[in-house]
Amino acid sequence: MRKNVVVINKERCKSCSLCIPECSRGIIKISPEINKMGYHPIYIEDMSKCIGCTLCAIICPDSVIEVYREED
Amino acid sequence: MKDKVLMKGNEALAEAAIRGGCRYYFGYPITPQNEVPAYMSKRLPEVGGVFIQAESETASINMVYGACASGARAMTSSSSPGISLMQEGISYIAGSEVPAVIINVMRGGPGLGNISPSQADYLQSVKGGGHGDYNVIIFAPSTVQELADYAYDSFDVAFKYRNPVMILADGVLGQISEGVILPEFKEIKDAPEWALGKGKERNIIRSLFLNPEDRLTTHNIHLQEKYRRIEKEIQYFEEYKCEDAEYLIVAYGTTSRICKSAIDNMRNNGIKIGLFRPISLWPFPYAKLKENAASKETLFVVEMAYNQLEQDVRIGVEGAAPIERLNKLGGSVFNEEEIVDFISNSITLKGNKYVG
Repeated sequence: MRKNVVVINKERCKSCSLCIPECSRGIIKISPEINKMGYHPIYIEDMSKCIGCTLCAIICPDSVIEVYREED
Repeated sequence: MKDKVLMKGNEALAEAAIRGGCRYYFGYPITPQNEVPAYMSKRLPEVGGVFIQAESETASINMVYGACASGARAMTSSSSPGISLMQEGISYIAGSEVPAVIINVMRGGPGLGNISPSQADYLQSVKGGGHGDYNVIIFAPSTVQELADYAYDSFDVAFKYRNPVMILADGVLGQISEGVILPEFKEIKDAPEWALGKGKERNIIRSLFLNPEDRLTTHNIHLQEKYRRIEKEIQYFEEYKCEDAEYLIVAYGTTSRICKSAIDNMRNNGIKIGLFRPISLWPFPYAKLKENAASKETLFVVEMAYNQLEQDVRIGVEGAAPIERLNKLGGSVFNEEEIVDFISNSITLKGNKYVG
């Protein structure tokens, strides 16, 4: 199984939720914690389900999300 | 129990130096160490000492050279650009084996730079910015208490080895106010036998060796033997949560304090990480660092400079562990999150490729 890593820049997230319907595995959720700007940033619920498709990173208007796929 | 007082780093340093026997101060003002001459100018006359504001840094280091050559406990302090001006004098002091104490409260460079804290003088201070084969004993404290303690002890170390001692602090340590327990007044000893005007024979203090009889080679070999002895006897360092650590941060001075809180933070997230902090930067505790680095996955060198401390870390580690660097340039200070983010990302992203 692939071990992908998604780096979320929480401080830059404005909680627009565009990535949530975009995620093909439905694993992106809104976190109850609050960032410095006062928004609820996103987080990944179950990282093992991530397939590294990068759709969330592409849709994100603030470049909050970076996807790193495991090297073969 | 001794009283704990709230003092600014520079002032605690000055008071501790006086208690450690300093009676002569020569200096020229420069931010961020201005409180040292300011405090000295008020305090030294009270204890029967002498304060002189020299016309330049070059003059102050040569005044220290003269005072220390006669066996007096004299010191000077400055910040990065001033220390650059003093390098010639420091080389002379080391060459003629005169004990002296020099304080360097580092600020941003190069050139006039700025007045905020930095660690970019590491190589200049530790590797000897002046000419010739010489070494200066360097202590790098990380709290106001340590700053006071090393200032207090530095005169004894300098007189023991007849070698200049430098205390390498940075703008944060100089300006921060912390609780500090000041040491007791030290009894001032008479000038030693080698000093000018002492002993039965006429003493000569010099760094010029032209006669064939007293070859400079012999003098240099003698100096190197002394340095090897110092390397054996002085090895100061601190280990923080190193016992079960898989990763290791190497940092000194102010940076090491920020790293400590970053380490606590990361340990809460399950990353086993420790800190190795060299206190004596020359002699650098190479052996102890290698011992610590041997079983680690990765070493992170965190410094407010570019590839300076890292050079010594690489010498010490001898390839025993991979090294990654985190630098902050131009007189700005790390914050905890930056260090945590950099290190956790670097650990979790290992073997992964950026795709989008």
